[in-house]
Amino acid sequence: MYKTLIIILLGFFLYSCEDILDTDLKGSYTTETFFVSKENAILAVNAAYRPLSFATDGAEIWVVGDTRSDDAIKGGDAGDKADAADIDNFTENTNNGVVATLWANYYEGITRCNYTILNVGAMSATIIDNELKNRIIAEAKFLRAYYYFYLVNIYGDAPVVLEPKIASELQIAPSTVGEIYAQIEKDCDDAQKVLPVSYPPAEVGRATKGAAIALLAKSYLYQGKWKEAHETAVLLTQPPFTYMLMSNYQHNFNVAFENNAESVFEVQHLSHQNPNSGNLLNQAFAPPADYGMGEGYYFNLPTQNFVDEFETVNIEGTDYADPRLDYTLGRENAQLPWIDDTITYSSGWTETGYVAKKCLQPISEIPGNIKGDGDLNYTAIRYADVLLWIAEAYNEDAMPALALGYLNQIRERARGCFQVDENLTNYPTIPSGLLEDISETDQNSLRDIIRHERRTELGFEFHRYFDIMRYGEQYANKVFKDVDHFNYQQNRYLPYPQRELDTNYELRNYQ
Amino acid sequence: MKKTARILLMSFIGLLFVVHLYAQERVITGTVTDAATGEVLPGATIIISGTVIGTTTDIEGKFSISISEGNKLSVSFIGYIPKEIETGLLTNIEVQLMPDLEQLEEVVVTGYSTVRKSNITGAISTVKASELSKMPVVGVDRSLAGKVSGVRVNQATGAPGDDVSIRIRGVGTIGNNDPLYVIDGIPTKGALNVISPSDIESISILKDAASAAIYGSRSANGVVVITTKKGASGKQTVTYNGYYGVQKHGKLTPMVNTAEYIDIYNEAARADDRDIISPEIAATFADVDHMESIFQMAPVQSHQVSISGGDKKSQYLISGDYFNQDGIILNSFYKRYSFKANVNSNLSDWFRININTNFASTKRNIISNSGDGASSDKGSVVRYAFFRTPGTPIYKENGEYVDLPQNPKFLGDGYNPVGLANHFDDKERRYISLNNVLLEIKILKGLVFRSNNGVNLNIKDRKKFYEEWGDRGIDAPGSATHSTAINTALTTNNVLEYTKTFHELHYLRVLLGSEIIKDMTEEHGGSRQNYPQQSIYFRYLDAGIGEQTSYGNAWEWALTSYFANLEYIFNDKYLMTLTIRRDGSSRFSAKNRYGIFYSGSAAWRLDKEPFLANFVEKANISLLKIRGSYGKLGNQEIGDYPWATIISGGYDYPFGGLAQREQHGYAISTQGNDEVKWETTKQMDFGIDLRMFQNKLIFNADYFYKVTSDMLIPYPAPSIGGSASYPWVNAGSVENKGFELELGYQNHAGDFSYEISGNFAKVNNKVLSLSGEDAKPIIGGEVDNNTFVTVTGVGEAIGTFYVYQMDGIFQSTTEILTHAYQGPNIKPGDVKYKDMSGPDGVPDGTIDAFDRVYAGSAIPDFTYGLTVNLAYKNFDFSAFFQGVQGNKVYMQINKDIEGFYRAFPVTERFYENHWTTENPSNEVPRAAWGGATNNNRPSTRFIEDGSYVRLKNIQIGYTIPFSSGKKVRVEQLRIYVSAQNLFTYTKFSGLDPEMQTSENSAAEGDRAVGIDWGTYPSSKTYLIGLNLTF
Repeated sequence: MYKTLIIILLGFFLYSCEDILDTDLKGSYTTETFFVSKENAILAVNAAYRPLSFATDGAEIWVVGDTRSDDAIKGGDAGDKADAADIDNFTENTNNGVVATLWANYYEGITRCNYTILNVGAMSATIIDNELKNRIIAEAKFLRAYYYFYLVNIYGDAPVVLEPKIASELQIAPSTVGEIYAQIEKDCDDAQKVLPVSYPPAEVGRATKGAAIALLAKSYLYQGKWKEAHETAVLLTQPPFTYMLMSNYQHNFNVAFENNAESVFEVQHLSHQNPNSGNLLNQAFAPPADYGMGEGYYFNLPTQNFVDEFETVNIEGTDYADPRLDYTLGRENAQLPWIDDTITYSSGWTETGYVAKKCLQPISEIPGNIKGDGDLNYTAIRYADVLLWIAEAYNEDAMPALALGYLNQIRERARGCFQVDENLTNYPTIPSGLLEDISETDQNSLRDIIRHERRTELGFEFHRYFDIMRYGEQYANKVFKDVDHFNYQQNRYLPYPQRELDTNYELRNYQ
Repeated sequence: MKKTARILLMSFIGLLFVVHLYAQERVITGTVTDAATGEVLPGATIIISGTVIGTTTDIEGKFSISISEGNKLSVSFIGYIPKEIETGLLTNIEVQLMPDLEQLEEVVVTGYSTVRKSNITGAISTVKASELSKMPVVGVDRSLAGKVSGVRVNQATGAPGDDVSIRIRGVGTIGNNDPLYVIDGIPTKGALNVISPSDIESISILKDAASAAIYGSRSANGVVVITTKKGASGKQTVTYNGYYGVQKHGKLTPMVNTAEYIDIYNEAARADDRDIISPEIAATFADVDHMESIFQMAPVQSHQVSISGGDKKSQYLISGDYFNQDGIILNSFYKRYSFKANVNSNLSDWFRININTNFASTKRNIISNSGDGASSDKGSVVRYAFFRTPGTPIYKENGEYVDLPQNPKFLGDGYNPVGLANHFDDKERRYISLNNVLLEIKILKGLVFRSNNGVNLNIKDRKKFYEEWGDRGIDAPGSATHSTAINTALTTNNVLEYTKTFHELHYLRVLLGSEIIKDMTEEHGGSRQNYPQQSIYFRYLDAGIGEQTSYGNAWEWALTSYFANLEYIFNDKYLMTLTIRRDGSSRFSAKNRYGIFYSGSAAWRLDKEPFLANFVEKANISLLKIRGSYGKLGNQEIGDYPWATIISGGYDYPFGGLAQREQHGYAISTQGNDEVKWETTKQMDFGIDLRMFQNKLIFNADYFYKVTSDMLIPYPAPSIGGSASYPWVNAGSVENKGFELELGYQNHAGDFSYEISGNFAKVNNKVLSLSGEDAKPIIGGEVDNNTFVTVTGVGEAIGTFYVYQMDGIFQSTTEILTHAYQGPNIKPGDVKYKDMSGPDGVPDGTIDAFDRVYAGSAIPDFTYGLTVNLAYKNFDFSAFFQGVQGNKVYMQINKDIEGFYRAFPVTERFYENHWTTENPSNEVPRAAWGGATNNNRPSTRFIEDGSYVRLKNIQIGYTIPFSSGKKVRVEQLRIYVSAQNLFTYTKFSGLDPEMQTSENSAAEGDRAVGIDWGTYPSSKTYLIGLNLTF
């Protein structure tokens, strides 16, 4: 007994099980275990779309696109979102939160694209058919181009990363604006060759051939490659594409008409999801609490200068404004009811007297307690925008006469709203003289007219600041003449985030 | 109590030696006393030399014995040096016995073994049960604060049941710095709060390499070895320890009242050209002190009963504990029920079995104790109490809570802190069971086999309900989340230990062992939205009607180890210990899986050297030992799968718009690094131990130097590689060096006895290198998006604040124009920063990121503790001071309450001292939101000295005398009154200088300590207690 016990115990003592050290990961995928099915390949590219969404804190493009422009001021309570106020006032420093958020958001998007392109590309034909594989890679390339497009326009020169990298490989100096655009063009071109013209209903929102062509055209336009710009953009007006303007302008900002014929690339939102996939701008831009519409932060308030841009006619003592004004913002004595029918808009709600409207849904659709979880999509590229690019590119390419048709399509639709929207005060009559067709063919005059048209057509869709800056120093100086310290060269781009300067010394040394 | 037990035991043993008494020529009487203390010694044995005839002393130390002429008496008592006495013609003798210091000496529990205190060759500090019992606190971790040199104890917040962080000998790494806990021989994580302090027999803190290396890859941050109480043979003893007390808040930060608030708001509004608060609007404002209203007088009570007893063969101890603490902030509480049983049985003369079981059930309500909510879902209640403007009342006329201020433009948008606290229904329940069975077999003389087998179970259950409240429906329409994590740890360690003394000169102890640990955690949970019924009976997942989610995951790790330990002592003078351990860990990829850790130490008992004998005797030295050690330790606390790049879900996107469900998306959430390997710490220690005047004076000093290399760092990578959590890399090394002193003196004068002990520790922390191609400082302390306030850089301490240097306040436009450019729109009254440097290393006339300076860290220059114990007759008194010097705190909360973050109240300090043209302050800027971006740059403006001295505990006790003659069975009855944190001396302006970390920074570890976001402060506690033994 005694000896047996000792032998057993000694055996136990000497026993050591090395096998138990092989503990596999449970409940999560690793790089090795993930890319094993076509379903997972789709999951990977799906994630690359998420940084587009206004469901996350990363979605602050409006701060640059609108708030920093002459269209809007930061708004909101004193001290609230001070980072956006600094961007509005050209007083941001490298510690600015928005500066870091946008940077991180787009690079996270790029990282997911890179990861998808590399790993799905390496999947064998037995797991995934070539058609799907190529489509997924093309989607990722489009998204990568989209994210770089914003980076290059927000920060100017920026590092280009095209494949997954480990931490120690990320000391990367910025590429120039031209180099980044070259990459964007390449990705867009690669994508448009592969992407389908359309998707079945459940897949709507994925990058299409049209979206890739549009982004390519936009990139040409932003670089002043006018010929390439109109040649490319004009493709979208031809078969196989069926884009058209909605007869009612407001339907572009209406949940009931999402993913409509005017939508070239649309960012999708959906309320009541976990993780959250709703549009939080519905809360960010809504009027302050206590007006029966839930708690809004009333950011991004339209300026008087913006309102004054809209054309009006006076008929028998009554002013009739371009209907797009009242589709774009809330104001007192508007031609349209405020977004919640039962409530009368008051200019006392905000300091400018206006509230941006395109991202808002009525309380009947999104109740106050989930205000930050809206359904409304954001159309990143609208066919109207494309038409105005074509007009602009023709005009700049010394073919102003060719521009007019595209420009007038926009104006025709705008004034036509009076005939289709019964909510407009003068329905169904177009106030005479309002938004008449343009026949100007002097290049310089037509340039101003097109710029004016862009501002009124695309107001509060986060394009204005980028337009001002690409129009050039002279234009920008005129727009920001009241900002004493504005300097085009210094202020065109946001600074690199301090966090990034402290982690990437190539960036720090580049300055 | 302990002493009484010993006396009884001694009497018992003494009797065994008495054979019989028979009449002789005369009777001699006498008293036996302790030569050192003068106390009588009941149970001492008196034997007539050369015979077996004898007697024992009675309870008063008296004896009487009949002797013949010329007989010598030999007087002995366990723990004392025996004495032979010539009786001569005396009839009454006073025998004074000298304590035998060697024999009385306590035995210290070390890794897998025990060692006599004087034989220790490493740096081990011990805390005894008697010291712990003086501090009525919830857990033993808290009671260590200030008691042991080189051990720094910080509570994350003052909330009941909140975590405590322990740092032994500084901060060795950017990664995990928590020590390893070993409870009754079983290594365990945390879980200290589950053991009632009254159940603890002793704590050993293994500080240096020599003592800790036996725990190998888990020892680099030191080891806390806890031994719980066991039964003793003898009569059954029942003890009760209990107290009841009340807690209240300490000093609060004075904030503006409504009139002052309107003043300062309007001043800022005028500066920024905003609407001011008109007198009409002002007339509608209330005037409430929100800070005061979140606090309450809160009861705390603890009751512990234990029963122990047994015979020579088997002993047992059973105890139960109930602890209930309400928090000083509304609606926070912590409750614990725990149970412990220990059975020790000598099944035969070679086989012993010891079974320990501890079970605890705890429950607390978490009310958001720290941080701004970025890492949880709501900021701390304290923070909101700061933010709530005094103009907003707490309740409406109908008694309901006022929700967000009706006029956020003028009154901010802070939550109602009282409503917020009272609506936190966030219950964390923990069920912890620590169990082990120890088998001990004496194989041969001196050869013992011990097998210690533990099963630990740790279940954490958290159920949170978001109740709708307030007139605007905060958290409407109710939602619930419920999660459960079950952790099981299986441990078996088996050792063979051989002890032998050769030729009375060579003492040898050899220990060989192996250990296998398997640790598994499974977690699952769910959430549900929309609760039409929100009463407490419906706050379960089933009662919701909205969307629901569920999740589940599992983790595990394993460790297999072999270790050996050799102790050799020559002639009681030269001592040496060698230790080696080889660990294999599942946390590393196969190529880096195994690590070898070792240590060696030696000591020299100078007091035993003949050439010093004279000196030793003259100086009345009982121990003089110098010792030194060196060794290599490891750290593997880097998560369970650091090698794996993890791809997870949650990156969904709703294709198809409104008509569709969202589609799932998967992306990298955590980056892995399969090259990652052990972090190692090499430590050197030199120490001296001195005891003088029969151990009345004890002095220990240690100097240590330790370097952690291959430091495990989650290196913050540039965002251009994505936002997934960073991979762990081995990069860099950190040095900690310092010294520790412990000095104690105890003595008595008649009925008065006293004991004074103090400790002091100084640690210098410095990063020696950060490897990799680019040795960039590592940023940390994220206080805002894109704003980090610490760096860990070469030559500085871990987590050193790195901020702009405030250089006063701009007094005029001219000054702004002539000063380095700080950006547009700077006005007189704004903070001026010093132009320290530029891209080329010299001041460049622009204030930018190159102008940041190192501004101290949260690591103190030194820490100290002082304990005074006095006793006079039946009265006892003790006072315990604890202090920290030279640590810095970054007052993030001041950015909000002195920095014009929103329409929020400001401190009185700001109100009274801020810059105006009439009050050209050079310290406090002007009132304006417009200046906030400049004025709130992370700068020395927000850094404060966190030094403090605190009277942690003061206690007066009275022991009610029960003379032995009475029939009452009570052996001891002591009542006491005690106060904790009665007095604090500090210049710190926040609520509690003991604050250390916040929820925001939890993930950043020691890179981000000492940032105060508005933290639940610790309380002042007054209590009355009772110790009873019968």
